[in-house]
Amino acid sequence: MKPVDFELHRPETLAEALELLAEHGADGKVLAGGQSLIPLLNFRLARPDHVIDLGRIGALRAIRRNTDALVIGAMVTYHQAERSAAVAETAPLVSAALPHVAHQGIRARGTIGGSVAHGDPAAELPAVFSALDATMVAVSRRGTREIAARDFFLANLVTALEEDELLAEIRVAPVPARTGAAFNEVGRRHGDFALAGAGAQLTLTDDATVSSARIALTGVSAKPFRATEAENTLVGQRVDERLWRRAADVVRRDVDPAADLHATADYRRDVAGTIVERALAAAAARALGNRTGSMEATG
Amino acid sequence: MTLQQERPRTGPLSEPERHYLSKPDRVREDRRFVTGKGRYVADLIRPDTLHVALVASPHPHARIGAIDTSAALQVPGVVAVLTGDELAAETEPLRQYLDVPEVQWWPLAVGSTRYAGEWVAAVVADSRAVAEDGAELVVVDYEPLPFVIDPEVAAGKDSPLVHPTHGTNVMADRHFAWGDVAGNRALADRTTTVRTRWNRNSTVPLETFGVIAAWDPHRELLDVWASIQMPQFPEQVAGSLRIPTNQVRVHFDVDVGGSYGVKRGIKHAVLAGFLARRLGRTVALIEDRSENMHGGDFHGPDRIFEVELAYTDKGDITHIRIDVLDDEGAYPGRSPLQLAKPIGAIVGPYRITSAEYHAKAVVTNKTGQVAVRGFGQSPTNYAIEAAVDAVARDLGMDRIELRRRNFIKRDEFPFRIPSGTEYDSGDYETVLEKGIAAADLAALIAERDELRGKGYLAGIGVASCLEPGGGNAIFENIMNPKNDKTTFPEACRIRVDGEGAVTAVISISSAGQAHETMVATLVGEELGISPDRIAVVRADSLSGFPSQSPVGSRMTIVLGQAIHGAAGELKNKLRIIGAHQLGLPVDEVDYRDGAVVSGSNPDVRLSWGELVAIAHRKQHLMPPGMQPGLEMVHVAHTPRSGTLTSPEGTVQLYPTYSFELHLVLAAVDPGTAKVELKRYVVAHDCGTVINPDVVRGMVYGGTAHGIGVALYEQFAFSPEGQPLTSSFMDYLLPSSHEVPRIVDVEHCTPSPYTSHGQKGAGEAGYMGAPAAVASAVNDALNGVGAAPLHSLPIKPSDIWSALRAAEQESS
Repeated sequence: MKPVDFELHRPETLAEALELLAEHGADGKVLAGGQSLIPLLNFRLARPDHVIDLGRIGALRAIRRNTDALVIGAMVTYHQAERSAAVAETAPLVSAALPHVAHQGIRARGTIGGSVAHGDPAAELPAVFSALDATMVAVSRRGTREIAARDFFLANLVTALEEDELLAEIRVAPVPARTGAAFNEVGRRHGDFALAGAGAQLTLTDDATVSSARIALTGVSAKPFRATEAENTLVGQRVDERLWRRAADVVRRDVDPAADLHATADYRRDVAGTIVERALAAAAARALGNRTGSMEATG
Repeated sequence: MTLQQERPRTGPLSEPERHYLSKPDRVREDRRFVTGKGRYVADLIRPDTLHVALVASPHPHARIGAIDTSAALQVPGVVAVLTGDELAAETEPLRQYLDVPEVQWWPLAVGSTRYAGEWVAAVVADSRAVAEDGAELVVVDYEPLPFVIDPEVAAGKDSPLVHPTHGTNVMADRHFAWGDVAGNRALADRTTTVRTRWNRNSTVPLETFGVIAAWDPHRELLDVWASIQMPQFPEQVAGSLRIPTNQVRVHFDVDVGGSYGVKRGIKHAVLAGFLARRLGRTVALIEDRSENMHGGDFHGPDRIFEVELAYTDKGDITHIRIDVLDDEGAYPGRSPLQLAKPIGAIVGPYRITSAEYHAKAVVTNKTGQVAVRGFGQSPTNYAIEAAVDAVARDLGMDRIELRRRNFIKRDEFPFRIPSGTEYDSGDYETVLEKGIAAADLAALIAERDELRGKGYLAGIGVASCLEPGGGNAIFENIMNPKNDKTTFPEACRIRVDGEGAVTAVISISSAGQAHETMVATLVGEELGISPDRIAVVRADSLSGFPSQSPVGSRMTIVLGQAIHGAAGELKNKLRIIGAHQLGLPVDEVDYRDGAVVSGSNPDVRLSWGELVAIAHRKQHLMPPGMQPGLEMVHVAHTPRSGTLTSPEGTVQLYPTYSFELHLVLAAVDPGTAKVELKRYVVAHDCGTVINPDVVRGMVYGGTAHGIGVALYEQFAFSPEGQPLTSSFMDYLLPSSHEVPRIVDVEHCTPSPYTSHGQKGAGEAGYMGAPAAVASAVNDALNGVGAAPLHSLPIKPSDIWSALRAAEQESS
């Protein structure tokens, strides 16, 4: 379990990193925390000639609030985001999902951008950002490109990033008032990749009608999964337990989980519905208690 | 956490006379382990050492054709590539314990590969990374052969054969019937039969196996440092390498980072030793996790049980029948012997007076199996306890009441079970009562029912199990009557130097069992000297004395006996010296806390310093003819050992029988079928405790291990024969999130047959936890009318399927 010999580059600036990527992108890998890449290197499943470590580029480590978006730098760690008040207020579904990412030790080193660029459908953040219609900002020596989440995650571990491109930041639109979010997952152990994971974010009107619904699922599809049909059954409906059950049944119909050593496909399908139902109920309860959205909070 | 230490009723040392034994005291090994200063085998690698990487077979069964090593040899830094044929030409095959001469096993596959992951070639290089670069370039020409993965298929007539020249995949097939089987069956009103599946798991050590070998051609000596826990290790390495045993020096002063049976490593050491001799260099083979998981041959029992209990309507169990099929993997080695140990506890803690046992070992195209914590006892305990629970369900009887009713009673010890083994001592009812009190059973039941009221599935698990202790070797004879070995010894040297300092010398390595604490405590107790002042060091295999390995709690029991013997001889010598100097007859002086004292006048005494001085340098004061110095070696056999299996198949297996009672409360989320263990109580009796913290650590760790077996851990294979658990992403060890707080209550029923009343504790917790957790899940399922699950590990999707099946049945 020793990696194939490679050259390690440790650029100090984004510009330097982009130069290196332009030169070595075809046979290089970007190291952004290393919680997935280092095991892949050690198992020799990844065999790059060049590894470009972004760890020294401070500019990628910031969380900012613009008037129209929360901007998360690609090298922000899970831990940093988990403790960020800006993320909690502006993107509550991201906040709700973060404690479910692996273990504390991994969250201390792993980065938001690393997870997104890795594009694992079993991971929490690619699904959450899909459901939130986040914008991925890719940079290269050629310029900057904004990619909608739905166009970003192409297949299992495949994203729209070009060889010379770097994911620089992720932008998420802030939530309005009366929004609540919740994330639930079932793994065989705490911290494992989930057998099924579900996040829900609901925005309600003053009379407790769903005005917006976002549902993210992990581990049930070959791509990060957004349950659009289930979301549609909710919008315009009054908050009600039976409503969550109906959405759950739609999710059970729409997901396409695989079987493996840890669970059958039938189990994953059924449980995906169950935890969506629970996430919706919890998100609704929070939305009912949350009179001020992040737009107001941020002015 | 509570630990109650009862005053022993019998035994050579009653508690008031004890100074150090059973008293809370620091565990001397803890400091170096907690501060990260342990010295493991990989810490001993010197800069000029060569490193080995292995080429592993991708096929479960394939004929090996040409092996092209030329590309690998061209990698800068690669020194050599060794194939199985080259190795086999100059070494003896690895030892088989069964009588299976056609089964030939070498560290590298010879002729054909018999499991995916088996080592086919070894690449030696200046660094491990370069060795791996070379291993990738070794080209092996494989011709795939038919293979078998399922043990029941393997046992059948039409199965592909793992070792064709042996003629069958069945390596051992032993039938036993003890007691009045027909009569006891006639006494019964009913029978229940339960089929249980103990899937393949193991003790998975933090440190993989590692070995360093160095050959000195001038001294003609092979030095070996290894991460071992293996009886007869030096002998077997020497035998395979065709060199005399006195040319192999195994160093035991190496910390072992976890084992519980699996750190056997003969094949690794033979390979490294061979390379060291051939290359004239120091060679290190440190498994990486993949090599360890796939090719390390350290998987544990993989069994299918059928247990039949016959019983009366009132719940008196009259007879037990156990059929077991064990999947050894490709090479049986020592692992099938694990089918024999349970014969010594074949009726569990129950008063059952006849038994039938049918044990069959088959080989399949899977990774090899090896000894694992308890040597086959925990799977057997699980199978028995699952059947006892089924009897309770059948009779509508309380599970605890059924057990209490069938327990061997405290005044019936020593109790001879039908297989001929005598249980030394026990008080199962009292331990049960202590467990019930600690768990507050009434409150536990109320909590279960409250959880059920809230919509959860909830269940209480119970298991009452034995831990045989003492590591007698007679199981070799049971499984292979041609092998007439009955036991193996342990020894200790106690030396008092010229300044009066005491050193105890042992010749084994330890894998975290705190043997240094144990030895210091016992020597201190025997000599009346603070254990803090006693040094414990480890001799190597040539400078030491007959000693095997810390298996089956042998160190506490057999090494304890050796310490008792050596200390007794030392005290006797001091009394003779003292009596001579005091001018008293020997039988009129006592040894007391380091001094020799007149029995009639305590003021007439000779101090430790004076005794030591006479023994070491005042020959003129020594009794005539007495050997100078204070060096005592005592070699002890396992208590109660030394008899072969009788023609009727009866045998005294281990000398001591510890007991444990588990009570568990589990909640199951009805939506996700996930199990949460809410309460966990173990009541435990291992006789005299030497160090309370060490015993508690064993109980906690063993219970956590058992929880892993019950709910998480499995080495799985695909139908294509490929390992599905390739890393810790898929082999799921329980973490602190999964293991609840464990309450341990201790009781002490000393063994009448050991030096200090001690019994085994190294397998504590693990003996009963798999059974108890399964029992709790099944009680939860039973609460909603679902059928019990009898295959470990129990996964959420298994529970979910059981619940769906019950729903469909009721609708």
